[in-house]
Formats: sequence, C-alpha cells, structure tokens
Amino acid sequence: MILDTVDTLSSLVLLSVLFAFGSSRIPALIKVIAFQGVVVSIVPFFIGHDMGTGGMVFTAATLVIRGILIPLSLHIAIKKVAIQRDVSPVIGYHASIFCGLALIVAATVISRRLNIPSISDAQLLFPTAISLLVTGMFLLMARRNAIAMVIGYIMLENGIYLMGTTFSVRALHIVEFGILLDVLAGVMIMAIILQNIKQTFDDVDTTLLRTLKE
Amino acid sequence: MVEIVFLTPFITGLLAFVLPRTLGRQLLVLTGVVHLVLSLLLWKNKPDAFFTGYFSVTPEGMLSLLVISLLFFLISIYTKTYLEHSNLPSENIFTGFMLLFLSTMTMVTLSDHIMVLWIAIEATTLASAPLIYTHRSGASLEATWKYVLICSVGIAMALLGSLFLTLAMDMAKVDVPMSFSALTPVAELLDPLWLKAGFVFILVGYGTKMGLAPMHTWLPDAHSEAPSPASALLSGVLLNCAYLGIFKTNKIMVAAGLHDFSGTILIVFGLISILAAATFILKQNEYKRMLAYSSIENMGIIAFGTGIGGIGIYGAVICMIHHSLIKSSLFLSSGNILMGYKDRLIANTGNMAQHMPKTFVAFFAGFAGISGFPPFGIFIGELFIIVGAFRAGHYVAAGIFIASLCVIFAGFANQVMKICFDPSAAAAPEPARFSEKASLVWPQYILLLTSLILCFFIPDALYQTIVDAVNAIGGGLQ
Repeated sequence: MILDTVDTLSSLVLLSVLFAFGSSRIPALIKVIAFQGVVVSIVPFFIGHDMGTGGMVFTAATLVIRGILIPLSLHIAIKKVAIQRDVSPVIGYHASIFCGLALIVAATVISRRLNIPSISDAQLLFPTAISLLVTGMFLLMARRNAIAMVIGYIMLENGIYLMGTTFSVRALHIVEFGILLDVLAGVMIMAIILQNIKQTFDDVDTTLLRTLKE
Repeated sequence: MVEIVFLTPFITGLLAFVLPRTLGRQLLVLTGVVHLVLSLLLWKNKPDAFFTGYFSVTPEGMLSLLVISLLFFLISIYTKTYLEHSNLPSENIFTGFMLLFLSTMTMVTLSDHIMVLWIAIEATTLASAPLIYTHRSGASLEATWKYVLICSVGIAMALLGSLFLTLAMDMAKVDVPMSFSALTPVAELLDPLWLKAGFVFILVGYGTKMGLAPMHTWLPDAHSEAPSPASALLSGVLLNCAYLGIFKTNKIMVAAGLHDFSGTILIVFGLISILAAATFILKQNEYKRMLAYSSIENMGIIAFGTGIGGIGIYGAVICMIHHSLIKSSLFLSSGNILMGYKDRLIANTGNMAQHMPKTFVAFFAGFAGISGFPPFGIFIGELFIIVGAFRAGHYVAAGIFIASLCVIFAGFANQVMKICFDPSAAAAPEPARFSEKASLVWPQYILLLTSLILCFFIPDALYQTIVDAVNAIGGGLQ
C-alpha cells in the first residue's frame, strides 16, 4: 500500500514533467516546480527509510524551501520585474513534448537495466528521478528566458534529490547536505541577478546577454 | 588545529564588510601575512585536524595551500595600491569577498570528506561571483550570470557524481566514512560501474569549474570582467582548487585499478581544452581574454599530464605550480596595462616597452614563462608530460599536444608583440596618467623570480611533498 503511494506520486511528477515540456508560460512552470518540490521532499516519508530526527528536520526544511520559498520568490520576481510571461523556446513546444515522451520511455528502460538494489519495489521512482534531471537540463538549454532557466536548474536539483532518496539513507544524507546549500544560495544569487538584469537590460531574455561571445 | 588556516580569513573577511575602506585595505595585507605564516607553520608541524574525517593535511593539499598563500600575500600587496588608484564602487564588499574567497579556497585544499570538499567548492563560487560583478556594468553582470549558472550546473553534476560514489559503496557493502583518505585503501572493493559513473560526473562537474573545454565558456568572460587582482586569484588559484577535486577522485580510481578508464577521459578532455584554446587564442582582440584562454590551455595541459600517468603526473603538478605563479603575475600586469591605457582592446595598446618599461619586463617575462620557455618551470613540466606521453605510447595525442602548443605560442606571441612594441599605438598613455609604483610591479617580479628559482632549486621539503602527491596517484619520476 505504502509503495503504491510512492508510485502514484511518481506518476503525478511524470505528468508534471510532460506539462513542463509543453508549457509556454512562466507562472505555470512555477506551479509545476512548487508541486514537484512538495512531492520530492515528502517521498522519503513513504519509503520507510530509518531517518532519525536530523533527517526529519532536513526533510521538513527541504519541503519548506522547495515547496514554498522558491516558488514564492520566483513569483515575486516575475511580479516585480513585470517581464514577458513567455518562455522564448529555442525548441518548439510540440517537439519539446515529443522529446519529453521519448525521455520518459528511455528513463524507464534504462532504470530497468541498471538494477538498483535498494528499493526496486517502487518501480517508478528511479525513472522519475532521471526524467526530472534531464528535463531540467532540457529547460536550461532549450529556453531563453532567464527565469525558465532557473526553473530548469531547480528541476535538475529536484531530480538529484529524488535520486538520492531512491538509493539509501546514506545517499539521502548526501543530497540533503548539498542541496539545501545549493538551492538557497543559487536561487538567492540568481534572483538578485535577475533583478539587476531587468534594470540593466529591461528584460530577462538572455539573448540580450550575448555581447560577450566567441 | 588545521581549521584555523581557513577560519582566520573567514573572520577577517566578515570584518572587512563593516570596517572603513582604508582599514579594509590594511586588513587585506595583514590577512595575507597571517595566512602565509599559518601555512608555513602547517608545513612545518603537519598538525592533526580538529574535525578528523572532515579535514586533513594531504601532500597535494599542502602544495596548493602554499601556492594560495604565497599568491594571496603578493596579490594583496598589489591590491592595496590598485584600490588606491581605481575607484571601485563599494570597496568594502570587494575586499570582504576577496578574503572570503581565500577562506573557501583554503578550505578546499584542507578538506578530506567528499561532501566537505563539495561544499567548499560550491562556496568558492558564491564568494567569487560578487568579485566578478565588481564593476556593475552590463557586461560584468552578463559574465556573473554565466559564471553562476554554468558553475551551478557543474556543481550539481559533481553532487550527482558524489551520490554515485555512495552507491558504489552501498552496492559493494563497504561501510567506511565518505572521506578520500578512508575510501582510497578500500577502493578495490567498491563497485566499479558506479565508481566509473561517479568519476565521470565529478570530472564534468569540477571540470566545469576548472575550465576544461567544452564546459569552459564562463571562464574568458569572468576573467576579463573581474578586476585584475580578482582575475589573478581566479586563474592562479581557483582553477587549481577545482583540479584538486579531480585529483583526489582520480586517486580513488587509481587505487581501484581503473586508471586506464580515468586516464583516457582526462587525456580526451585535456586535448579538447588545448585545441579549443588554440582555436580561440588566435583571434582574440582583448588581452585579458587572451590570458584567460591561456589558462584554459594550461588546465588542459595539466589534465592531459594527469591522464598520461607516470612521469606525466609529475609534469602536471610542476605545471600547476608554475602556471599559478606566472599566470597570476600576468593578470596583475594586465591590471597595470588597463590602468595605463584605459582600454581592454589590444588594438588600443602598443609600445608598452617604452611607455611602461617596468610592467613591460614583468609582462614579457611572464609571456615567455607561460609559453614554456626555459628558464621558467612550465618548460620542465611540459617536457616531462611529452616524455611521459611518448613513453606510454600515446604518439597521436602527443603530436596533437605539441602542434597545439606551437599554434598557441604563435598566436600569443603575435598579440604580445603588438602590445609591447607596436609603434603605431593609437592612444599612448601619458606618464602622468599612470605611474608604475613599486608595489604595482614588485609582486609580479617576485612571482616570476619564484618560478625561476624553483626551476633550478627545489627545497627538499617541497620536492618530497611533490613526490608524495604524485606517487599517490601512481606517478613518479621513473
């Protein structure tokens, strides 16, 4: 029963991944990462790792940061700078969705073959982690809007976190450690930078950030 | 108490934010002196860490630490005068982050736990981003954005790599602390598949920070936009710190008997970096970007030497030390050129030999050194690497290596000649605009002199440490 919950959650995340591939608007993407942030940080509770108090605190902190703080700050960022709400795709939406489907299939096939020992019962967990990771990379590369790139980066981190929960308690500790610092710092700085990009360039389209080039 | 070496600059860095600006400059030099003394004491006593398992003193760490300390001390002397000459906006922030940057880089050299190393490298990004943004212009903002974004993705990849290392431990049911010193002896027991995966991701992650092509795109922008003392630190020390992460992981790979796998990848990345540098250095029109591409080249050389193994690793470590010394001197000289000509374009400089003779000596000697001319150390390092490559039978790789070095030398020489001797200089600096104060040229002279002396005479303690570091990853002079 418990593992079914994990698989249900995973499949919802997979759907949100597909949605992220096809979404053209920043506010929708922010909702997607808020949802993913919440799901990713509550998954450890359902897996039955023996986490201890420290682990609980970390998980709760992750939940607050991923699920609330980051989406909120991104929301404020787009309100403040009143930017265009379009993600300016390099690769079109239909092609993107097709990429997303291909990715999910590939992730499922790969994770079957890798044969990870620890929690092979939750079938969808590892494919979901890979999908999140690659989706993050995809958004970083195939979207020109700076906020969309930040969202891609956070999705990438969510993927790593989920992968950590899949393996073992030790792996979970590793991702907890790093990612909290990572998210906090990365987003803070990126938000400040975004504000300034707005002031300097009047827009967050990174095509404008192309004066230094080879 | 090893930790005091990085805690001191951390505390003074925080202090520098609140102190008045002139006092901040003094604090910078003072911290440089204290840090150098602490590092020398560390060399002498080799104390144990307070948090064993997280920090430890390793030969490769000691080497990097000494280089950092010496460089920072000399750069701080330069910076003091540099700050008097250039009106940086919010100087407190600049000095504060310089010190925090020093603290985080020192932490990298002393860390032993895989996650502590990761956190320290992540922290170097945080501490150095504001340095790149010092000038607050559109271009510096763009450089900072690129730097933070690309390095964050890199650091995320390194985290994934570290995660795979834990998986390699779990699969093999190895239960030891996750520190390099604990993992290396049991490396053979680890699951080879996940160990390889971990190494690849860690190499890509830290390689981004180190400036290996094709992940190098942030490097020329960041180095050209940062103020020259910060560029000197970025190029001279930060890149080494990232290399240290790869070096330590490679140690586990070698201990696990996977050195063929890791060596091949390092050789490929090294050669791509050298080729990329050779391609881009030919058409550079800014001198700081040219120096940045030369850093990419040298990082490629170091990765290549490490991949070759044997005597090549010894060459790589020699190259690493001398690259830091020479390249930081070049970046400091480029700061003088920028102050003198007020322009970053090579086309708008010229005839420096006449206008700024002291800077010219430092810049030209630095150019000779970085291009691998004797009597500077890079010559010896590159020679060892080439000999190592031939011994190991990598004839094609060695051929590409030598050809690229020639191209880079030609491109570099062409630009340097323009800067130094071109008489048709459009805007010659008036002597009144920039006077070559002693503290703006002597740090470069000392750096170059150190490189020169180390070429002929290496103190026993230093030599022994280099050999220890090299032996640990299966290299050696034989």
